[in-house]
Amino acid sequence: MTNKINILLKSIRVIDPASGFDQISDVIVKGEKIFSLKKSNGKKINKCINSIIYDCNNLILCSGIVDTRVHLNGPTEESISKIQSIAAKSGVLKLVTLPNQNPVVDDATVVEYLYEKSKNKYMPEILTYGCATKQFNGTEITELGLMSEAGVLGFTDGIHCIQDSLVMRRVMSYASMLKKPVIQHAEDRSLAGLNKSTMTTVQGEMNESEISTRLGLVGIPSCAEVIIIERDLRIAKLTNAHYHISNVSTKESIEVLRKAKAQGLNVTCDTSPAYFCLNELELSSYNTAFKLSPPLRSEVDRLAIIDGIKDGTIDIISSDHHPRSKDTKILPFSSASTGAAGLETLLPLTLGLVHQGYMDISKAIKLITTNPSKIFKIENPKISEGSLASFIIFDPEKPYIINQEKLLSYPTPFNNRPVEGMNLASFIKGKIIYKHDDFRELKNE
Amino acid sequence: MNSFKKFKNLVPPIATLSSPHLLSIEGMPKTEIVSLLERADYFADIQISKIEKTLNGYVILNVFFENSTRTRVSFELAGRRLGAEVINISVNMSSIKKGESLLDTANTLSAMRPDVLIVRHPDSGAPKLFSEYLDCSIVNAGDGRHEHPTQALLDALTIKRRLGRIEGLKIAICGDISNSRVARSNIHLLTTLGAKVRCIAPPTLMPKDLSNLGVDCFDNLEEGIKNTNVVMLLRLQNERMSGTETPSKREYFHYYGLDNKKLGLADSQAVIMHPGPMNRGVEIASNLADDENRSLIKMQVQMGVAIRMAAIESLHNKKYAR
Repeated sequence: MTNKINILLKSIRVIDPASGFDQISDVIVKGEKIFSLKKSNGKKINKCINSIIYDCNNLILCSGIVDTRVHLNGPTEESISKIQSIAAKSGVLKLVTLPNQNPVVDDATVVEYLYEKSKNKYMPEILTYGCATKQFNGTEITELGLMSEAGVLGFTDGIHCIQDSLVMRRVMSYASMLKKPVIQHAEDRSLAGLNKSTMTTVQGEMNESEISTRLGLVGIPSCAEVIIIERDLRIAKLTNAHYHISNVSTKESIEVLRKAKAQGLNVTCDTSPAYFCLNELELSSYNTAFKLSPPLRSEVDRLAIIDGIKDGTIDIISSDHHPRSKDTKILPFSSASTGAAGLETLLPLTLGLVHQGYMDISKAIKLITTNPSKIFKIENPKISEGSLASFIIFDPEKPYIINQEKLLSYPTPFNNRPVEGMNLASFIKGKIIYKHDDFRELKNE
Repeated sequence: MNSFKKFKNLVPPIATLSSPHLLSIEGMPKTEIVSLLERADYFADIQISKIEKTLNGYVILNVFFENSTRTRVSFELAGRRLGAEVINISVNMSSIKKGESLLDTANTLSAMRPDVLIVRHPDSGAPKLFSEYLDCSIVNAGDGRHEHPTQALLDALTIKRRLGRIEGLKIAICGDISNSRVARSNIHLLTTLGAKVRCIAPPTLMPKDLSNLGVDCFDNLEEGIKNTNVVMLLRLQNERMSGTETPSKREYFHYYGLDNKKLGLADSQAVIMHPGPMNRGVEIASNLADDENRSLIKMQVQMGVAIRMAAIESLHNKKYAR
């Protein structure tokens, strides 16, 4: 019944970075679509027949966040519905999962199964990448073509780096033919501490620096990232492939990518909030919520990442959402798994860049909506009259403190961090699929 | 030769530490280090039968996730001499790897209501984790590559008793610094007490930016050892002796093994220390290890018990004591 009644969003600032549209408007949602979008006259309305009115003064309406890096346990109903409700709360209306799931997404049937299972008209859409190599073994290529037909957005070994240069060349050649990007987690495995000279495998645990020396943790030098990027850029040039680097974390990588982009190479990249909000000093207490891959880097790197975001070298901010159970995190640092939750903190931390004066709000929204949908060819409805009413409404200045206890996923590396900005409502096809308590309708008298 | 002359006829008080745990030397105030050393110095001289059983009725659990004989026995003796009940638990790492969570193990141990838990663990930071989840005092008996606080304290006591002071001494730490918790604790402690510390290691075993910890770094032993008063050697683990970290035992000994000739470059009264167990012919020439005039290795073991007594005792009246 409710979706038969119109929804009037009064005096809302509508931002669409794709068209440069930025205007305080009155928006009427009727059925599945945006019925009307007019410049607000500023008059107060208390009554409107057949409508629910929301006073949206100081709130922003933009298209749903497109998150290009989310870890899903597997295509089970439980994990799918859980991630969808977390995404809805976070303002993420499209998300792309990594193939590191159970079962591994390295076959067209798994892709089809995942899409079938997650199909829900009124829930955030789940998309996926396909594995570049079978079971990410790094040696045998998967059926890239068939997976492409099944609808994967690109190819990647997820949290594993494709180490072998020849395999990378072949994956890129194939992906280039299929016009799909190859997404790399750039980390040279042998430099990252896989020590063959000892009998045991010692895995790098954090950025190599004075801090790793003090803590007695095995360091991963920052060059482990740029070495792979530089190699891959040459292969991308050779194969004409679209190369995408995820979670860029070092200053050297930014410098190399800036140059590659200037040369016109088909290269794009993303980073996640941890790499522009935090640095390696966080690890001083051995808190495993900060054990991430790539590891948190130095302050110099953090500032370089912000520069990269500012000047467009970094195209996308993704959540790198990788929730973990307490069993795998409340462990000595070396034994704990890498990864942390990110969906719920993506919007406020990205807005942090605006509040700190690094960019305007339109640019911040672009990094999490327009850019990812353009780069990965993900359809995202426009904000205009006649378009599907799928969008989010957020308060860019609502202050609060991130609290692990109040989050739906564990662990967050941002516990106790004060932030500003919160998603208040998520609309999909005219239906409000998430609403914060602060988002209240006006009494229709 | 005892340096604590002012206490010759005075019993130094039980050391008071600001933390309920002894997890690391880094961050420990100089006054606390000195008070632990003074108390341990007293224990080192006292007749065993005259030791006051201040820890009567206390329960100490020795939980070792890594093999150790000396450290474990040393803690056990220290506890018993003060009248505490000491129970040794060697945790089978394989059962942990089979899935029992470390915290489950810790909670089981905690249910036994110990007053002090002495933990050795192969992972850096593990004792810190215990301290966050258990309600007893934790003593770090060596964690991964991080720290081994009581070893550094006993080394300092040994030096002080033999050379009369620490401040102003030139002390060389030589060997696998990268993987050594003993080195890290010693660097923090000796620099806090005012020694000039030099670290000597092949570049493959020298951790990044070590000089930021307030030491001078050398990759040449002969250069680093010049005029030093103490040469502290570290054990080079067997699995590191061939491969990419050091080419061979033979080459390591050639460049970094301590022999009479290299020791000749140090101060003429220089002493040699080693946390043990030693690899004779790798980091130290056999004859030097046995040279009673130069080697303090035996004395280090003796001081170990005294230091651990002072350490355990300092924690017993903390908030966790029941």
